[in-house]
Amino acid sequence: MTAPAWHSRSLVGKVFAARLATRAKTTATTALLAVAAVYVLVPIYWLVVASSKNTGELFSTNTFLPPSHPHWSTNFSSLFSYESGDYKWWLMNSFIYASAAATLATAVSTMCGYGLAKYAFSGRRAVFGLVMGSLMVPGTALVVPLFLLEHYMGLTNTYQGVILPLAVYPFGVYFMSIYAAEAVPDTLIESARMDGAGELRVLWQIGRPILLPGMVTLFLLSFIGTWNNYFLPLVLLGTETRFPLTVGLSAWASTLNEAGAGQPLYSNVILGSLVSVLPMLVLFPFLQKYVARGLTFGAVTGE
Amino acid sequence: MAVRGAEERAALPVPPSALGRATRGNQRLRQRQGHSGLAMTAPFLGLFAVFFAGPLIYSIILSLRSPLTGAYAGLLNYRATYHNGAFWAGVVRMAYFGAIQVTVMIGLAIGLALLLDGPYCRGRRIFSLVYFLPYAVPGVIAALMWGFLLEPDLDVALKVPHLLGLTSSPLQPLDYRLSLYSIMLIVTWEWTGYNMTILVTSLSNVPRQVLEAAKVDGASEFSIAARIKLPMIRRTIMFITILSIIGTLQLFNEPVILNEVASVGNALTPNQIIYNTAFAFGNEQTAAAQSVVLALITIVATIAFYGIVRTRMRPLATTRRAR
Repeated sequence: MTAPAWHSRSLVGKVFAARLATRAKTTATTALLAVAAVYVLVPIYWLVVASSKNTGELFSTNTFLPPSHPHWSTNFSSLFSYESGDYKWWLMNSFIYASAAATLATAVSTMCGYGLAKYAFSGRRAVFGLVMGSLMVPGTALVVPLFLLEHYMGLTNTYQGVILPLAVYPFGVYFMSIYAAEAVPDTLIESARMDGAGELRVLWQIGRPILLPGMVTLFLLSFIGTWNNYFLPLVLLGTETRFPLTVGLSAWASTLNEAGAGQPLYSNVILGSLVSVLPMLVLFPFLQKYVARGLTFGAVTGE
Repeated sequence: MAVRGAEERAALPVPPSALGRATRGNQRLRQRQGHSGLAMTAPFLGLFAVFFAGPLIYSIILSLRSPLTGAYAGLLNYRATYHNGAFWAGVVRMAYFGAIQVTVMIGLAIGLALLLDGPYCRGRRIFSLVYFLPYAVPGVIAALMWGFLLEPDLDVALKVPHLLGLTSSPLQPLDYRLSLYSIMLIVTWEWTGYNMTILVTSLSNVPRQVLEAAKVDGASEFSIAARIKLPMIRRTIMFITILSIIGTLQLFNEPVILNEVASVGNALTPNQIIYNTAFAFGNEQTAAAQSVVLALITIVATIAFYGIVRTRMRPLATTRRAR
């Protein structure tokens, strides 16, 4: 093979070749990244397209092409009216569970983390050991005994029965103790004390504004975790109107293949899935920064 | 997070700032502040005692009781678990699952993170956002979407090989022989971006001077990635690998949902088996023992992996220190 003309020894040729190589590498990189992006986006795209089809079209039209005219309005009214409107409850319940658990988890973890970081007291080491040790316990191992314990206490099938266990967030305590130790200066606390502020008031007026970004991160992690949780509410809840979206949609899905199950179920499950992820997907670009900070926290500190 | 716990325990607790300067004069004040500190941890400790420590202790007590009479029965349930072939088949299945899925996923995450961190990447922000999106999708929904997409009646793409004459029938990825691999596909979809996000942050902490120096020395972009970036983020890689192993052993949502959509089997994973033992067979005592055993397996697997990688890593660490 003869070398192309630009492959000569001239400077112009070398610069040109280097630029061409860079462009080739850029194109190859972009192509690889695009393939991965397609893998991520295909199911989400399909969900949007499929949610506009009726059950017949789901099986007869091209999987990845929209129908001749969308059936969103019919599908929507079917979704919210099926079985006396259970879906409305699930949507509301998911919101209640996630926001209550996240609020409580954030408040309790922030107080505890701040207390561990800024005070000396006997038993402090023990509390820290407890928090770190509990990070080792896989969460799902506790679900079945939790059910039995809650059954004993009469907490199964209640809102608080789901919210309270999810408010226990050892990672949040660990996160906040490091965050508070680094972010809240002691001199600020001291001077607030000099002014006669009580300890809780110091936390509320001095600590809270400084800790707020960390608290947002904790809130989001806990909110998403609760919103996405399935195992725990599945085990703890028995009444349809108490279900969160995950448990409710799974209950619908389990009757999909039963003989005589209503045909609208396919479009209900598909549109129901879309509605349950849409708020988070839309907000995600704005939240990504906060969420990523929480995730990378454990991995990157002490790198 | 789990291993971080063990690893950081030596380095923590953070030195309490208010301490140190305590003199005899203000000792009482310090003590009062100490009480406030304890009081601030109280709400967490209260919830922890009831909803974390409580179930943990209860499951151990329960696991020592007879399923029939409820009386103390020693290690009866543990013996039953030891002889439960389905349970161990589930554990082995998850080991096989993890060996393939975790390897592929971590490899993909490393590859994508290095591409995003390299100089040939355009549209870094949009790509990292797209990859991270599945984190916002519940596992249940992910399994439902893929459950439909892997159904030949619903997905025209699965018919293509058949129409081209390559296979005798449309692809059936939810067939009992392939369903485990379909779950791998779903779990990889869900968690690759999450792991990549952690790696990208870790990569951004690699000192830029080191990379510049390598470039001046004439190192290619590939060898910079392989010889400098990778070794410097190896702790993070270990961390996400351990998290993934723990996640694999806990697998529940995806097989349960796929079973609802396509009957792939209701006892694929240990957590499914524990669920069935407790609720389908009403044997809470044996289920508690199985939970304890699964938790122990998880902890042992974590420590074992950590140990293996640490001994392997040692020479690498020395090289780096020498540099």
